[in-house]
Amino acid sequence: MFKRALAWVDERFPLSHFVKDTAEYGTPRNLNYWWNFGSLAGLVLVIQLVTGIFLAMHYKADINTAFDSIQHIMRDVNYGWLLRYMHSTGASAFFAVVFIHMARTLFYGSYRAPRELLWWTGQGLLLLLMATAFMGYLLPWGQMSYWGAAVITNLFRATPFFGEHVVIWLRGDFQVGDATLTRFYALHYLMPFVIVGAVMIHLIALHTVKSSNPTGVELKEKDIIPFHPYYTIKDMFGVGAFLIVYFGVVFFAPNMFIEAANNIPANPMQTPAHIVPEWYFLPFYAILRSVPDLAGGVVAMGLSVLIFAAMPYLDRSRIPGGAVYRPFYRILFFIFIANMLVLGYVGAVPPTDKTIVIGQIATLVYFGTFLLLPFISKKEESYLIKRGGLPAAVNELLGKKN
Amino acid sequence: MNKRFLLPMLLCMFSSFAVANEAELDHTPIPTDKASVLRGAEQVITVCGACHGMKYIQYRNLVELGVPKETVDTWRGDKHLNSAVQPGMDAASAQAAYGVVPPDLSLMALAREGGVHYLYSYLMGYKNENGEVKNTVFTVTKMPDILGSATDDPKAREEAAAKAKDVAAFLNWAADPHGEDRKSLGMYVLIYLAIMTVLFYLWKKQIWRKVDAMGKV
Repeated sequence: MFKRALAWVDERFPLSHFVKDTAEYGTPRNLNYWWNFGSLAGLVLVIQLVTGIFLAMHYKADINTAFDSIQHIMRDVNYGWLLRYMHSTGASAFFAVVFIHMARTLFYGSYRAPRELLWWTGQGLLLLLMATAFMGYLLPWGQMSYWGAAVITNLFRATPFFGEHVVIWLRGDFQVGDATLTRFYALHYLMPFVIVGAVMIHLIALHTVKSSNPTGVELKEKDIIPFHPYYTIKDMFGVGAFLIVYFGVVFFAPNMFIEAANNIPANPMQTPAHIVPEWYFLPFYAILRSVPDLAGGVVAMGLSVLIFAAMPYLDRSRIPGGAVYRPFYRILFFIFIANMLVLGYVGAVPPTDKTIVIGQIATLVYFGTFLLLPFISKKEESYLIKRGGLPAAVNELLGKKN
Repeated sequence: MNKRFLLPMLLCMFSSFAVANEAELDHTPIPTDKASVLRGAEQVITVCGACHGMKYIQYRNLVELGVPKETVDTWRGDKHLNSAVQPGMDAASAQAAYGVVPPDLSLMALAREGGVHYLYSYLMGYKNENGEVKNTVFTVTKMPDILGSATDDPKAREEAAAKAKDVAAFLNWAADPHGEDRKSLGMYVLIYLAIMTVLFYLWKKQIWRKVDAMGKV
């Protein structure tokens, strides 16, 4: 019966074919646990969608009732506190997972040919995620929601010629208000579905070029294993470990990621002492503040996110992969990560003469690591070839290209 | 390299919390036991309630918390059980008397950096400087030293401290009334997840045994 029904469907729709392809999808057998974070990002997306849809059933997008409706969810809706804390913690979890996913890509050089489109679709996903998170943050209509949105929409004033108009157009009003809240809500509900679509594209690209692996050298046929059951079970284990950390925060420290000031209703007449964005925007915010000129700061901040897309061209080494065989690249990677932490710190503290200078140096280091990469990777290549001692698989690859 | 960049990542996540508080807060532990919360409820409703309301706490919530119904009845007067806890003084007269509308207390334990420790430090932060009582934690406050923490008498200060702890304990409940449920449910969820994750790990080992036996690539 089932077989006949399946045959009927398969004649009209490639169901078995699709399931078979997905399950048998060939994957390198040497992927370490850093490769778990892609599927974890997918899991967090689902958590955000499901909790978000239920929150939307109780939330009211109106400046007079938005803040109250969050408290209604927290106090009166059955397990509303769980939905809301899962969603607010999920936003941070999403960025944490995606940043680790990106750091893995950078460390192992997974962005390199032929995976440029995979990397760029991921870059698009990051931008969508940032936009979605930013708009979602306005919805609780707390002080930090309001002032964060006011500061960030105000940045568009730097647009040449039409600055003033662009800001009004974005806000729907002369200042952040009811029109802003309702449009951010509409878009915050829409964007996740756009993200789902973009994830599909990301996965199609992945299934075309297949996963990279720590060595950076394409593996031989015998070292390729089917995704199921090997990586399904490995991902399940990863999901378990992730959920322990995630629910640890949700149940025991859910206010860790909620600014105290956001528990005060938005008040356009009173600026909070210190406006800080959420932790995941801090390094980029620090770059924005490091440039004395508004337009320059906005351009620098935009570039700081977009410059990742240039990685496949900035990395000019013929040594395959990322940091595994390449000591200089590895040093550069860790400088980049450490510098990111410095920027995060600078973004979090109120600007003083000292932190401004630190921020400016860190901004230069940030762009410096990208812009020096073409020279460093070339120098490193000739150094490594001269030094010798590269694995046979790498030499074979270089020999072919020579 | 496996574990090497986990720590920096975590540090990055916490960098936003590394911002120092302006005033040093007193981190005396704030009790969470029912008796303290109930004593705090009485303090907040009968004393603080003269000026401060709690718009997200209804009188029935106090009954649910464990305050005797008769007590709540005397507190609420002719207000409905489903009515939010109203301040004894309306906003206009408060503005006239103090120059500021006293803030709502429902979320106060979450709305200040430092949470309950801020509340305790603030309530105990009054100092008598040459006959003028000032608050050292929130220097521009218009609120008088209700608990009498500015006293020189150690015994009176101890009494004030006990009351301040109770107030902080009650406001902590008010800001997060499901906090206790959350933590007890959380224990079960984490135990379940821990067992599940161990089983997944063993299952993974079982499925991967042949691949693991192949050694490094």
